[in-house]
Amino acid sequence: MNGGLAHEWFIEHRQAFVGRHLEEDEERVFGEHLRGCGECRDAVAALERELGWLGMGVRPVAPRPGFTREISDAVLRPAPAPWRQWAPLAAAAGLTLVLGLGWRGAQRRAAGLEAELASSQARLEAVEDTLSVVRRASRVFHASVKMHEHVGTLTILDDPVTHRWQVIVAGLPPAPPGERYQFWFITEDGMVRGAEVSPAGDNAAKMTRGMPPKGGAVLGAALTMETASDSVGPPKGMELAHLMLES
Amino acid sequence: MTPSRQPRSAAGPLTLERGGSFRARLIARDERALVELIDHATPWLLGMTQSLLHDADEAEEIVLDCFRQAWDQADRIPPEESALVPWLMRVARNRAIDRLRSRRRRQLRHERAHHVGALGGDSAGASLPDESALPGWHVHDTVHAALRELPDDQRSTVELAYFGGLTHSEIAERLAVPIGTVKSRLNRAYDRLRGALAHLKEWV
Repeated sequence: MNGGLAHEWFIEHRQAFVGRHLEEDEERVFGEHLRGCGECRDAVAALERELGWLGMGVRPVAPRPGFTREISDAVLRPAPAPWRQWAPLAAAAGLTLVLGLGWRGAQRRAAGLEAELASSQARLEAVEDTLSVVRRASRVFHASVKMHEHVGTLTILDDPVTHRWQVIVAGLPPAPPGERYQFWFITEDGMVRGAEVSPAGDNAAKMTRGMPPKGGAVLGAALTMETASDSVGPPKGMELAHLMLES
Repeated sequence: MTPSRQPRSAAGPLTLERGGSFRARLIARDERALVELIDHATPWLLGMTQSLLHDADEAEEIVLDCFRQAWDQADRIPPEESALVPWLMRVARNRAIDRLRSRRRRQLRHERAHHVGALGGDSAGASLPDESALPGWHVHDTVHAALRELPDDQRSTVELAYFGGLTHSEIAERLAVPIGTVKSRLNRAYDRLRGALAHLKEWV
């Protein structure tokens, strides 16, 4: 450990060790000695502090412009490790691959979403149209509807601006098999077929209807139960409700 | 070689403490403390490293590494090292000497040591427009005052050894004196310098 040297040699050369004046092999031996000699270690540490200011004897050198800023940036915000510099590129490549693979599926999903959006927009427009009829309605007609033991209602809201009706049929059970509810306009020329109505208990049937293009002035409305196959001609089934506008 | 400047009390001292020692502030991750330390110590560290290496790029690398070590390992700096500037100077000097030795350019070093201007003469780097205003200049003056008090043979030996980075044998060869003479001159010189610089321990 001492390279065959007596402790006195290390004591004598402490300052030379601190000053880095020993030959390289001597310095190596001294360093090995320090690891096992607390006395020399403490003495060397004290000498380093005592001679520490000697370095201030050098002539100062002006740092080039920006160098001190470079130091603080490099120390406080060190550059990322090399692999980290490539990480964004790798992530971007991976993302591109994933996007590429998912592109077709995304396209299909996009097409489905577009159709769903169009349908929702149509439904929304229909609701808005219905509400506009309801808001503008200046007259409301109401009649009871009897269907066996059930008693429901037929309500008509008349929009004088667009000449349309909001027709609401509520409180009736679904039509029996082979039959259907049929809404009628009562005109000066007779009964004009309106539309099939499909109430279902608590779920009222609602529809917005314009006035029939023929048949003359509309005088009232009726609801009948027709056979499912009977879709043309005058009513043949049982009348469930009947109301006149002037009544 | 020996500077003619006299100590100036007007020069800024290295008393940079603000809410604790620099070491404590660095441990507390006070970035402002690091920036202040860089501003004040960099000219001196560059002076040390360039005087030894005569290479501005290598000198800058070492200075940067010194500050990085101070920041990353502040908690490992011994508490006795409350004065960070001499600690930094020692780290820089040791690194520069290590680099010199790793180059194995002893012959070149001999030649360059002949032109060492570290003590106020030639300099490998740009000089400062007003050196006396530099923080720490009064320490520089104090060191030179202490060096001036040395006998000529001791002073020239210290210059080659400490500021030139030469070993005993290299100095002996350079001055054409026995190696024992070099050792005794250096020991006596260091003994005197330690006494002359002892009061600087009170400074940061």
